[in-house]
Amino acid sequence: MNAKIVRDVLIIAMMRSIPDLKRQPLLLTLLGLISALPLFFMMMFGGQLSNGLIGAMVATTGFIGLMAAIQDIAGDRYLKIREIIVAMPVHPISYAMGIAFAPLIISSPGLVIFAALAMWLGVLTFSSLLWSIVILILCWATLSSLGFLISTYLQRASIYTLNTLSNLLGIALVFLPPVYYPEEMLSSFSWIALLFPTSNAAGLIRIYAGLLDAAAVMILVRWSILVTTMIACTIAILAKAKWRET
Amino acid sequence: MEAVESVNLLKVYRNKETVEALKGVTISIRKGELFTLLGPNGAGKTTFLRIISTQLLPTKGEAYVLGYDVLAQANYVRKHIAVVPQDAATYGNFTPWEYSYYFAMLRGMPRQQAKGYAEKALKAVELWNLRNRTCATLSGGEKKRTIIASALASDADILMLDEPTSGLDALARRSVWAVLREMVEQGKTILLTTHIMEEAEMVSDRLAIISKGKLIAEGTPEQIKRLTKDKFRVVVEGSLSSLGVPEDSNRVTKFGSKWIVYLEDEDEALEIVRTALKKGLKAETAPITLEDVFVKLVGGEAE
Repeated sequence: MNAKIVRDVLIIAMMRSIPDLKRQPLLLTLLGLISALPLFFMMMFGGQLSNGLIGAMVATTGFIGLMAAIQDIAGDRYLKIREIIVAMPVHPISYAMGIAFAPLIISSPGLVIFAALAMWLGVLTFSSLLWSIVILILCWATLSSLGFLISTYLQRASIYTLNTLSNLLGIALVFLPPVYYPEEMLSSFSWIALLFPTSNAAGLIRIYAGLLDAAAVMILVRWSILVTTMIACTIAILAKAKWRET
Repeated sequence: MEAVESVNLLKVYRNKETVEALKGVTISIRKGELFTLLGPNGAGKTTFLRIISTQLLPTKGEAYVLGYDVLAQANYVRKHIAVVPQDAATYGNFTPWEYSYYFAMLRGMPRQQAKGYAEKALKAVELWNLRNRTCATLSGGEKKRTIIASALASDADILMLDEPTSGLDALARRSVWAVLREMVEQGKTILLTTHIMEEAEMVSDRLAIISKGKLIAEGTPEQIKRLTKDKFRVVVEGSLSSLGVPEDSNRVTKFGSKWIVYLEDEDEALEIVRTALKKGLKAETAPITLEDVFVKLVGGEAE
């Protein structure tokens, strides 16, 4: 990856985040905290805040990656911004990564709050926080790639369709699998957690936080699944994404 | 070396039905000229521009920008061009400054240089005083000029603008024309598409008329206007037959109670006007316009 590609990632990410953050900082911070909403219900019904906080961190990174890839790219296509950028000396990887990176910047205040809260409550230590960051980045990259893949295949879908789809996928990937709740609650079906990058990521963080017991081999399996899914999604997007139309 | 060159460019869209958008278009655009692609809606103007600007692959044919092959050397082409797509819209939360500055940065300019070009571009399109207002609060013309400014800030050698003045009022349109001519005087090459005849006539050094994917004519506006035998038009309001001009002639066009008569000879045109005025009818004559020629050429093509 050359310096221009990296520089362009940062410029696109800044373009898509700084103006919004400058103009609606409070609103965006509050929206970034929306992943904390399920925590309220969890506490109401006697759930564990520790598990919920980890779920909120995974939901924030995973959901925004998916949403940004689908919704922002659809928006850019609608505004013809994509056409302008395709005809510029900008690498498609820079565009894709910049678009996916921007919401991460926007939601960073929310993530910092969740992480700080998790550390303050003793859910995460400094070392488990570092592991969590790596896991969250992998989860974000996987779901962003998945989103790009969807927007590539649905070139002609309306913005409304894509928005609805991204919301449904968000729910399917964040709220149904054990992201906010521990996978032990699924008892014999707990293996389901491995199938989703979101619940797999949440499970791994719980292992490093000491909330979930797992054998070393199982940790390795989880990492393998997370990394393989990310690589597979990235390869698929590189192979299938169309920068220039045919 | 030409700024833009296309050789037998063919584009076929194969969706539910097959559409031949370009049928072997060969065009040369010289460096430092403002070249207009003029054509009715659906003529293939946007398809041509999108192929030249490396956004769309042709089905067949060759195209070069400053000698670079748009198929094999797209990355080189992209360094030298800036595009304003048709109906491009703005991010509501962006300011004109942010548009120009960030797009200049994406060209690879250092921060200070990008600031300098952004300032120059915004001053050129007269948006400098509005540079810090969000696009959501700008008028349609100001939004359009914001996008044009982002292309100007690129300092690209060739600007490709797809109907940049569509939807603008006369004043806004003229201010865009002035900017485009200024860019040409500074040595830029501009490829413009439009279906506005006045625009093509006013701003173009040369133009090409394209219809149904085929090139109909190419030349300066004056050369194009010489492509028909008729050199004058007489507009008459009232009965034409009373002036001795057959109403079913193929040189006559009717719009409600108004008639346009096309003539080769100025004396003949003046004679019709004089006779009409004597009979109390409203009449006037003028040299034929580009629109007259366009209608004849494209109308003939349609037939």
